[in-house]
Amino acid sequence: MIIEIGHYALILVLATSIVQSLLPLAGTLRNDPALMAVAPAAATAGFLLTLFSFFVLTFAYVTSDFSVRNVWENSHSLKPMIYKVSGVWGNHEGSMMLWLLILAFFSALVATFGGNLPDRLKANVLAVQGWITAAFALFILLTSNPFLRLDPAPGEGKDLNPILQDVGLAIHPPLLYLGYVGFSVCFSFAIAALIDGRIDAAWARWVRPWALMAWSFLTAGIAMGSYWAYYELGWGGWWFWDPVENASFMPWLAGTALLHSALVMEKREALKIWTVLLAILTFSLSLLGTFLVRSGVLTSVHAFATDPTRGVFILAILIVFIGGALSLFAFRAPALKAGGLFAPMSREGALVFNNLILTTAAATVLTGTLYPLVLESLTGEKISVGAPFFNMTFGLLMVPLLLAVPFGPLLAWKRGDILAAGQRLFAAVGVGLALAAIVQWMHGGGPVLAYFGLALGFYMLAGSVTDLALRAGVGKVSAGIARKRLFGLPGSAFGTALAHFGVGVTVIGVVAVTAFETEHVVEMKPGATVSAGGYTLTFDGIRQGRGPNYTEESGHFSISRGGVKTSEVWSSKRLYTARRMPTTEAGIRTFGLSQLYVSLGDHMGDGGIVVRVWWKPMILCIWLGALIMMAGGAVSLFDRRLRIGAPQGARTTKAAARLEAAE
Amino acid sequence: MFFWILVAVLTAAVAAVLLLPLLRAGGRSNVDDANDAEVYRDQLEELKRDEAAGLIGKAEAELARAEIARRLIAATAREGASKDGRQPASARRRNLLAQALIIVVMPAVGLCLYLSAGHPELPAQPLAARLANPGSDVNILIAKAEAHLAENPDDGAGWDILAPIYYRNGRIEDSANAYREAMRVLGPSAARLDGYAEALIALSGGIVTKDAREALQQSQALDAGNPRTRFYLALALEQEGRRDEALAAFEALAKDSPADAPWLPLVNRHVAGLSRGEQAKPPGNPDAGQVAAADEMSPDDRRQMIAGMVESLASRLQEDPDNFEGWMRIIRSYAVLDQRQAAEDALRTALKNFPPQSENGRQLLALAGELAIKVEGSEQ
Repeated sequence: MIIEIGHYALILVLATSIVQSLLPLAGTLRNDPALMAVAPAAATAGFLLTLFSFFVLTFAYVTSDFSVRNVWENSHSLKPMIYKVSGVWGNHEGSMMLWLLILAFFSALVATFGGNLPDRLKANVLAVQGWITAAFALFILLTSNPFLRLDPAPGEGKDLNPILQDVGLAIHPPLLYLGYVGFSVCFSFAIAALIDGRIDAAWARWVRPWALMAWSFLTAGIAMGSYWAYYELGWGGWWFWDPVENASFMPWLAGTALLHSALVMEKREALKIWTVLLAILTFSLSLLGTFLVRSGVLTSVHAFATDPTRGVFILAILIVFIGGALSLFAFRAPALKAGGLFAPMSREGALVFNNLILTTAAATVLTGTLYPLVLESLTGEKISVGAPFFNMTFGLLMVPLLLAVPFGPLLAWKRGDILAAGQRLFAAVGVGLALAAIVQWMHGGGPVLAYFGLALGFYMLAGSVTDLALRAGVGKVSAGIARKRLFGLPGSAFGTALAHFGVGVTVIGVVAVTAFETEHVVEMKPGATVSAGGYTLTFDGIRQGRGPNYTEESGHFSISRGGVKTSEVWSSKRLYTARRMPTTEAGIRTFGLSQLYVSLGDHMGDGGIVVRVWWKPMILCIWLGALIMMAGGAVSLFDRRLRIGAPQGARTTKAAARLEAAE
Repeated sequence: MFFWILVAVLTAAVAAVLLLPLLRAGGRSNVDDANDAEVYRDQLEELKRDEAAGLIGKAEAELARAEIARRLIAATAREGASKDGRQPASARRRNLLAQALIIVVMPAVGLCLYLSAGHPELPAQPLAARLANPGSDVNILIAKAEAHLAENPDDGAGWDILAPIYYRNGRIEDSANAYREAMRVLGPSAARLDGYAEALIALSGGIVTKDAREALQQSQALDAGNPRTRFYLALALEQEGRRDEALAAFEALAKDSPADAPWLPLVNRHVAGLSRGEQAKPPGNPDAGQVAAADEMSPDDRRQMIAGMVESLASRLQEDPDNFEGWMRIIRSYAVLDQRQAAEDALRTALKNFPPQSENGRQLLALAGELAIKVEGSEQ
């Protein structure tokens, strides 16, 4: 009976969200506070219902209740408990439930902590959240209902796709969805502003933390997914420009732009209309990401929905929300008041530059992802837009952006001095080039461009440190005062520096792996050796084993350096019995930030086995950088600081005053 | 009943939560411009704190203060202007309308969708509870037996018990496999060989394949008088086109059977068909060429061929719905192909032509029971 109550609660979510999307909007149109007050109540009730419904589904998974069709299709009684739970969102229906749960959670957060929001804004925001909730609840109930039953109940389930039975994939979707859906709040704020035709002072204060939070989670989610693909798929790559990856990367690029433009808006009330548009675009790309992965248009590692009716439904959702939002923007944006003026060479100007490049990059990725799909549906011709396209276009776009990153924080608001900023960055440039030269001297060989890439990464690290040092007044004041000022710096200053530092770390990892990794594909018999990255691997033999729901064969390798055994590694191939599906469990050994990656291939007739060995120098930097970026986002999020731009005094006072007057 | 009470309580509770703000109407409203002013005052406070902490220079702070103050003044001016009276009468009417909407929408949406997709009568069935108390839950008994056999694959008696249960539940492939395992452990017996052959025949859509025939012949060597073996061997002859031999075999089988043997009508129908010299009467019966081809095929191809045969049989049954044998065959075929829905539909249509009370109807129902297919009226 508990299952059926959960089902009913999910239906009530739809009913509640219908009320939530109609009454508050009527309230703001008629200026009726009673109707507006329904919004928070409905959002909270909707969240509690969704939570209950989700718990019931989880309960069905945990207790292996195979009378629930979704459980039967995606679970197995022998699966370890963690994968029983993660199996809830390891399939189409359940992942849509997770999406809905997070959406409802964010609506409830806005409802609960929105006390200082103007009533009209809050009612409109929650109404828009209500539309999204209603659309997704209806989608789940009509095309992907996880509560359908089987009678009589089967005795055993069909098991979760084994490549999804992994800790990485257990936490990857929730992180990703926290990001995707987090941008829905920014979207709702944008639509609310357009409906009302005004942007309140509180608007930017609310949008920026949401953008930050969503962005941090999305960063973590993408990094997690990339690391999972790296160690689970056994291909040794960390980014494939696969449409599913691009689907999460596009909202990240747009979200990064949004984050920065929201910053300008919050401090300077400039770029208002642009921020609204970016908020719409970012969430549109999140929806598109869902569409690309869920509708079955794409066959990819985890595009597990293949039902075309779902695709049509999601397409309708996309058209209504993206088309509707953009039309509303076209009609109402002229009504919004533009604010804050600034000179081209200023902090604002730098952020505009950032926005231009990031949106162009997002558009590039979008083109590369959608063009083959559109072409195939129109002409039936299949083309593949692969890594070379993205590396050329995207890579080239990133270079000027990355060069400019350290300049941004050094420029003053309203009017900055790029020469002064450049002078202050001399040290950083020097450090970057020097470190790259040292690497060249120690390592030798490799393409020249790679060393410039490394120099770029080091320069970004040094640039972030420079930013903090200048703010603390290092060199101008005594060390004690500088230290005091450093610790007194606002969280957002540390957040900026950390995030930019993280980008630099990722750049170093990407460049090092791309330019210096080595790959060996060899056939090995027990006793054979292969060397990679200065280490020697000896193949010791194969062992058969079995886990709770799989059998495996593992190869054992001893790793030695200079004749001394330093380490060992197991690399396995598993066969999951319920689905008769094989997976690779690559053997990975970490040395500092570099890794040795061993993956087993097929048996050869003569007792040998194909082994692939990669040496991945500095590869951990890629994900470490993402973690640092995320930490930067978190630090910045907890900053409760002055939210208004203070123009640079002294020299620029007059110019600033003039600009003030013009505002 | 308890379930519906819970549903009613849940619906009422959610509706009450939504209604509460409407019933408390007339609360203070948070006017936008007042809110803006609040934000700006907040910013002034923060500016003061930061200036004291030395986080912002004196000159910059002065400029920032001027900027905020200007926005603050503008906001307060608007605030004063926007205070107006409301029309209480129309607001109250709207309020009633909103209340009505909530009271209607909640149960209407809830019940409409739930009644179309929900199963209020089905309890939750956690696996642990089902395992602890399996009762007559066939799937659980099978699952338990499977778990036991996975640990002790040499328990021949276990395979012996499981094989026919698989067959009855439509898991023909598992059934064939279980018979094979039982024979591996305990050696062949007539019953195992017959069951194995029957599973193979069902798997190839009614064709007595070479493997099946060999199993049957081996079974006959062990137990010559078994009517089931003799029937299938005769069927094999008929499918190979050796009609005279088949007729003789069927006639001999009919002669040796007691008058009330349940298989007798079926045998007699074959005798009648063969002696009239007709092509095999039930449409969809494979011809000798198909039989030979099926022997050579890979399992996938064979499955595909069967699907094609089933399709043509279905279209012929549409024209000639009185063909009882055809219905029996197609229902079994659908079950073997694991198309439960199609099997149920076919059974339903067949029962229209052959009412459940009639002899043929009873045979249809018996088949449905054997294959665990359920339709309305099939459970009496």
